Amino acid sequence: MIEYIVMIIGVLGSILALAQRDLLKASILTGISGGCVAILFQILLAPDVALTQAIVGAAIVPVFLALAIYKTQRVGKDD
Amino acid sequence: MNDLIPLMVVIPIIAAILLNVLHGKNSLVKIVSVIIAICLPLILLLSNYGLHYFGGHSPLIDNGDLLNSFPSFISNTNLSNLHIGITYYFGGLQKVMLFFLFLLGFLAIFTTINERKRSSGSYMFLIFMGLGSVTAMLLSDDIFHMYIFFEIAITAQVGIILSSSDDQKYETAMKYMILGSIGGPILLTGIGFLLGLVGSVNITDISNAVKSGLIDPFSPVFLFSFGLIFFGWIYSVGLPPFHTIKSAIYSKATPSGSAILQALSVIIFLSFGLAILRIYSHLPFVNGFIIFFSLCGMILSITMALVETDLRRIIGFLAVGELGYLGLGFGIGTKLSITAALFQGLNELIITALLFIGFGAILYLTKTSNINKLGGLIENHPKIAIMVLIGGFAMAGVPPLNGFQSKLMLIQSALNANFPELAIIMILISIVTFMTFTKIFHAVYLKPKPQDLKIEKTLVPRSVIFSIAILLIICIVLGLMPDLVVKDFSVFVGGLI
Amino acid sequence: MIDVQTAALLCSGCFILVGLYAAIFLDNIIKKIIGISFIEEGANLFLITLAYKPNGVVPILLPDMSPDWFITNSAYPLPQALVLTSVVIGASTLAVILAITMVLYKKHGSLSASKILGDSNE
Repeated sequence: MIEYIVMIIGVLGSILALAQRDLLKASILTGISGGCVAILFQILLAPDVALTQAIVGAAIVPVFLALAIYKTQRVGKDD
Repeated sequence: MNDLIPLMVVIPIIAAILLNVLHGKNSLVKIVSVIIAICLPLILLLSNYGLHYFGGHSPLIDNGDLLNSFPSFISNTNLSNLHIGITYYFGGLQKVMLFFLFLLGFLAIFTTINERKRSSGSYMFLIFMGLGSVTAMLLSDDIFHMYIFFEIAITAQVGIILSSSDDQKYETAMKYMILGSIGGPILLTGIGFLLGLVGSVNITDISNAVKSGLIDPFSPVFLFSFGLIFFGWIYSVGLPPFHTIKSAIYSKATPSGSAILQALSVIIFLSFGLAILRIYSHLPFVNGFIIFFSLCGMILSITMALVETDLRRIIGFLAVGELGYLGLGFGIGTKLSITAALFQGLNELIITALLFIGFGAILYLTKTSNINKLGGLIENHPKIAIMVLIGGFAMAGVPPLNGFQSKLMLIQSALNANFPELAIIMILISIVTFMTFTKIFHAVYLKPKPQDLKIEKTLVPRSVIFSIAILLIICIVLGLMPDLVVKDFSVFVGGLI
Repeated sequence: MIDVQTAALLCSGCFILVGLYAAIFLDNIIKKIIGISFIEEGANLFLITLAYKPNGVVPILLPDMSPDWFITNSAYPLPQALVLTSVVIGASTLAVILAITMVLYKKHGSLSASKILGDSNE
């Protein structure tokens, strides 16, 4: 059962991330869906990929995005 | 020694990383990069033809003792034919192509070192990384391996664009990168479908599986994978609708950078095109697809080239349009036409490099590339003018230069395969190419010099003239003796079909 | 109830579609980049899903397993090895795009794609 919940959270997280006006929130929500994909990898019998994806998808990508947003502008004027 | 084969990829990549570390130590960067650039063609000449299995993982069927130790559902079925590890194939085609690619890389590095006072280790890193990645693409027999190095080549291309001094470079690089990041995963999804069908990413295995009827070529999954991989191929080589962005990236880079970019694109075109032909040649409409997109590419690029006024954009469009000839050769799909397409690819690599570097000298002298503001430069540099003129003749297919030989072969193959209309279109396009070339040549060299044209520098660097001369000699030699390379190509194609 | 593999395939399809929508139709460059990262995640999830085996085991041969049983029951390790590479590639391309974005923001003072990319002579 938990796998279906994780999938739904992942997809919803991705849609929510794109709907945000505040880009910093969007980057954090990207981390949530990246983490969900990592959990899915674990469920789908790929633990070593899950480790990498957990680091890359849930930590590195949001941090990169947040750094870029910190250097540019935080609120997307128009989407 | 077959152990030398992976070195062709490993040495450029190690050199790239080393040069990036050495960035800032001016003379050391120069010496190391020139030495490695000279060593690369030597590895090709020393290496034997053959296969290289990474990690010694040859197919089980070649390894009797190990094969017998497995249960019968592995040893007695097609599973024993699967290639387990990454396989590199090095043959005549690879030798010739890579030799000229490395030669071009050497010329680009040499020109850059001479042009700039301070040599940049990072720029050398990008050039070597690009060379190494396309080498891997051409050698590899593994479509996922090709995908990885394709991504690396794209990133290296973006870096080469960014190293120029054009003011629009970031915008162009951004567009190219966004399109590339969409095209890459789509290509990966296509590879995923193939992997799901066959269970292997080795091109030989996949084509064996199609041939032996293990997978149905008309199953929707296979067709879908064709669509996705074909999209990735179109993106990577700049056929429509991506021809504008591809020509834009050529015009934004430095002259030697554009030569390298075009060389990388041609090799990517060839390696993915050959993979598509090997996997999907059983589908009847594949040839039609390739011919359609190539024709669109040729016609659209030539029309765009006719109306442009920026010198570098025109050459960029001409270079993209010439890629259509390769596509036509692949699309016709006979032995002669594929050989001709490979030969045309090699010629294009050389001729466009010549034109990019030759017209790049104009940019170096006058700091403008608008053809309406240029003129009368033949007084200043008659030597370069004549060499560039001969290069343009080669591109348009004037005998006895190399472009003539390959285009003649293409037209013959189209006639033999009962496509006379394609032959006529090829001749027409080549006439229009010639017209466009004469137009820009007249505008730059022959028409009276405008009053406000300022010549900022009087001397073209020797290295530029040297590079143009070397490329021109190759053009003439290949034009007079095409058998030097065509024999190798036709042997390769004979093994393919 | 659909089984896990089909559901994961649908999920990866959703990721790719959401990402494609964002990368093509949204104007903000950061949002485009987030969309691109979703496309990559979707493609990776698709490859991993191919390797899945219902009621199977992780493809690591432990000492107490017999090889015959392991061959028939483990997930397929090849796509997993491939995804490991492509995850890292995705992250590094993302870093390059973000770097270019920061330079472009300095130049134009905006993150709107139509403003930045529209006025170049394309």
